[in-house]
Amino acid sequence: MRQAIINKNSLLVSAGILIVLACLPLVLPKFYVYVLALIFVTALLAMSLNMVVGHGGMYQFHHGVFYGIGAYTLALMLTKTSLPAWLGFAAAPVCSALAGVLIGLFCVRLTKLYFGMLQISLGSLVWAIAFRWYALTGGDDGIHGVPIPDGIASLIPSYYFILFLLAASLAVMYLILKSPFGNTLRAVRDNPERCEAVGINVRFHQLVAIAIATFFAGLAGTLFVVVEGSVFPDLLFWVLSLEVFIMCLLGGWFTFAGPVLGAAIIVALRTFAGVYTEYWTLILGVILILLIFFLPEGVMGFLEEKFKARTQTTSER
Amino acid sequence: MEWSETYTAAALGSHLLVGLSRAMILFIVTSGLSFVLGVLRVPNVAHGSLYMIGAFAAFSIVNVLGGGAPAFWAALLLAPLIVAAVSLVAERALFCHLYEREHLMLLLFTFALMLILGDLVKMVWGADYRSIMAPEFLRGSVPVFGSPFPKYNLFLLVVGPVVAVGLWLFSSRTRIGKIARAAAVDREMVGAVGINVSWVFAFAFVLGCFLAGLGGALVAPTVSVTLGMDHDIIIEAFLIVTIGGLGNMWGAMVGSLIFGVTQSFGVLFWPQFAIVFPYVAVVIVLTLRPKGLLKSVW
Amino acid sequence: MKAMHHRQSIWLPVIFLLAAATALILMPAAAGARNIKVGIIDCYSGPAAVYGNDALNGFKLALKDINRKGVLGKKIEFTTRDTKFKVDLALSMARELVMREDVDVLVGTINSGAAMAVSESIAKRQKVPFIVWISKSERITGEKGHRYVFSTGENTAMAGKAGGLALSHKPYKRYWIAGDDYEYGHAIANAAWRNLSTARPSVVKIGESWWKPGEPDLIPYITSILTADPDAVIFCTGGRSMTNIMKAIKATGMAEKMPIWIHTATDHAVLKPLGAEAPEGVMGTMDYHFYYPDISANRNFVNKFMKEYGNPPGFPAFHGYITAYYIAEAFRKAGEVDKERFIDALEGLKINSPAGPIEMRACDHQVILPMYLGETEYSPEHKVVISSDIVTLRGSEVMPSCSDIIEARGQ
Repeated sequence: MRQAIINKNSLLVSAGILIVLACLPLVLPKFYVYVLALIFVTALLAMSLNMVVGHGGMYQFHHGVFYGIGAYTLALMLTKTSLPAWLGFAAAPVCSALAGVLIGLFCVRLTKLYFGMLQISLGSLVWAIAFRWYALTGGDDGIHGVPIPDGIASLIPSYYFILFLLAASLAVMYLILKSPFGNTLRAVRDNPERCEAVGINVRFHQLVAIAIATFFAGLAGTLFVVVEGSVFPDLLFWVLSLEVFIMCLLGGWFTFAGPVLGAAIIVALRTFAGVYTEYWTLILGVILILLIFFLPEGVMGFLEEKFKARTQTTSER
Repeated sequence: MEWSETYTAAALGSHLLVGLSRAMILFIVTSGLSFVLGVLRVPNVAHGSLYMIGAFAAFSIVNVLGGGAPAFWAALLLAPLIVAAVSLVAERALFCHLYEREHLMLLLFTFALMLILGDLVKMVWGADYRSIMAPEFLRGSVPVFGSPFPKYNLFLLVVGPVVAVGLWLFSSRTRIGKIARAAAVDREMVGAVGINVSWVFAFAFVLGCFLAGLGGALVAPTVSVTLGMDHDIIIEAFLIVTIGGLGNMWGAMVGSLIFGVTQSFGVLFWPQFAIVFPYVAVVIVLTLRPKGLLKSVW
Repeated sequence: MKAMHHRQSIWLPVIFLLAAATALILMPAAAGARNIKVGIIDCYSGPAAVYGNDALNGFKLALKDINRKGVLGKKIEFTTRDTKFKVDLALSMARELVMREDVDVLVGTINSGAAMAVSESIAKRQKVPFIVWISKSERITGEKGHRYVFSTGENTAMAGKAGGLALSHKPYKRYWIAGDDYEYGHAIANAAWRNLSTARPSVVKIGESWWKPGEPDLIPYITSILTADPDAVIFCTGGRSMTNIMKAIKATGMAEKMPIWIHTATDHAVLKPLGAEAPEGVMGTMDYHFYYPDISANRNFVNKFMKEYGNPPGFPAFHGYITAYYIAEAFRKAGEVDKERFIDALEGLKINSPAGPIEMRACDHQVILPMYLGETEYSPEHKVVISSDIVTLRGSEVMPSCSDIIEARGQ
């Protein structure tokens, strides 16, 4: 009974947020619309990562690679071929997922930090290809001025396009995580040995989770190209992957929507703190430490706890 | 050009020495990282920043003391101590309150520390390239196998093993070293016999950071001391301790040797692929040995 | 009661945050008669910061003089953003400068990937003039050039041609090429080798080696080059790798064994920190020295710069300085603060610089700068190693012709 009410509530809240976000471009100056679009893209990336980190318990340290593969696939199809654009949008996440499974096949044999380090190495090989293969990828200069299809080339339509895809992706991810598969995945995270013992194919479940996560990372990559019109090897570099990982931890990796919040905080901070000071990484570092000390469950975890406490005390009254 | 002409025994020999000397710097840095990983179980992302501070501190000390051999020795001793002091403050003020937390939260903390230290270095030392000179007797080169071999690299070949033996004696012969090793295996047990685990951790953390600072001070005369040194070393350092076996000091040595020597020979044989050597080495090792080459405490 | 307390403790910060955000958004960008605004995106963190700061100092110094007189009755003001050498940050910061700060001109950056991204995705699309002042990729004003992008610095095509032509007058036959494994290194190598082998067809390349940018340990590379024993070596490195390569050359005594050419080997930012550790006898090329050309315009600039910042200007400061004058002169010539008329005015504009009169070439928006070829040598006067026996290669000698540019752009 209570479960149903909470679900209904969160559905209403989500719908409310969606409506607000859909109305924002009507009132906000253009630059803020752009920042929101950038936040959405990053949020999708962080959400996809959290699927394997928060729910799968795998140290996916180089998730940025799959974001980059998605972005490069779309950019290359739009600049080097005359295939229709939608094919690029479809192919990019698929390519990312294929790469994800391929790299995952090596990594799922390992655990924790070993998993993470092997992934950084394999991912860095992909980065080296993007960095070195001048003829195809433009090397370290990247590919710029990618021709985006007319319908979504300007800011406002691209904002709605991205918002729509983000909402749809979040809904799909939510359903996946609520499904029996999601439950098994969390069971594998909490106790892989026991799962193995009761006949669950641990590695298979981990690989499926990686495939789904890297698919959405690739989708986020295509949306980045829509916003910025550029791709470059930084997208596949470990620094970006680490940042995304931090977003998950910051937002709250045991919650569903935490990474979205983490992405919003970091993107907004670096955009606006950078206006006032060149020492904004210092500020980011201090804020992170404060959050670690005072909100140990992440920002979203904190809010959820507060929310629960309130509903509980309200119902007690 | 004939194969035999380029790859003579002399050329192979001098490349081996060059690779070994690079491995010594890597070993000193990564042994510290491995120590922290072993005892505290914390992947310290800020390790590279402490290495950078070590290099900058060495620069300042040499400058203040006006160069020459005494200044160089003072820098080698004092720079790591400065780094150790910085890490002690960070550990006692902040880090020590977090040991009960999730491992990934500790990772987040060290990441924040990396961000802060990076900007602090910029505030203190500015953005200019810095450079320090090795003392007179370590400058220039001597012919080894017919190729000029920098004297400073010979010096590194001596320092590396000295540090390794020192660390080994410390961890197997001293009381605090034995406690630290025991804490790495079973921290509850160490706590149960009445030892203050928190101080053991503090000590291990500071020692690890001291080694990072020593690595930075040792590398300073051979490179440009600049912002961004932290990023350059940190991934390489993590890869090394991973292939060696997390938390195993000799693993750090083995990993460093593999990195140093493959890099050096790789340059000789396939110079165009130098950029990917470390990653390929890791993929091969971890595919064959999923827990690293030597026994890991993880 | 308890519930009340809880409610307060969540909502207060939330309301505060919302209010702060609203205030930030509604803050008036700029109203009424405003100054000319220049937005600078560059790298002020990490190893490249030394160049970013130097360029900014040169720019600020020039603005002091310019604003004393004013431009069209206004002042030129500027705002900076630190891109941390990241392309994605450069893009979002450039967008912020254009959309929120509404700048009239964008200036930046040392990172050529970032320069090209901003050039293609922002300058060209939003029709904002963008002046590149440090980044040296020849593609910025070459094959990827367009109406909205300009360069006030030298580029890899000019540097490579200068080096290639200089080497073609020497008798060496067997060359080894090595450098940083990224666009800059390869572009210099290609340009140098193309010009060298055209001017002197008998040369052969006996080997190449490339290291990752910023590689701390270059001794193995040098050892393998010494083993191969070429007649001469071309190193294609930049930034902090310069210090590393110079140290490695000194430590192995390579410069005494074979002739070496490195673009920017004679850069003061590289030589000064090395002090007595800088190798002598290395050939280098630069587009600016604070001690050359020894003319009054340069002496004045250097004196003013020294007085202001306590150290002599490097090449980025020179670029920053002329960029400020180009912006001021172009707006004066345009007669109004209008982006399109600014561009029309800037095309072909000639100004006096510390290095003598210079021209912004109309066909490719690349400033015509001479190149100075010299050899590193200790100077008792400056107490550091500097460039000596300088030979000046005129801009027209080292730049690709306008027809080459048109061909590269595929027009």
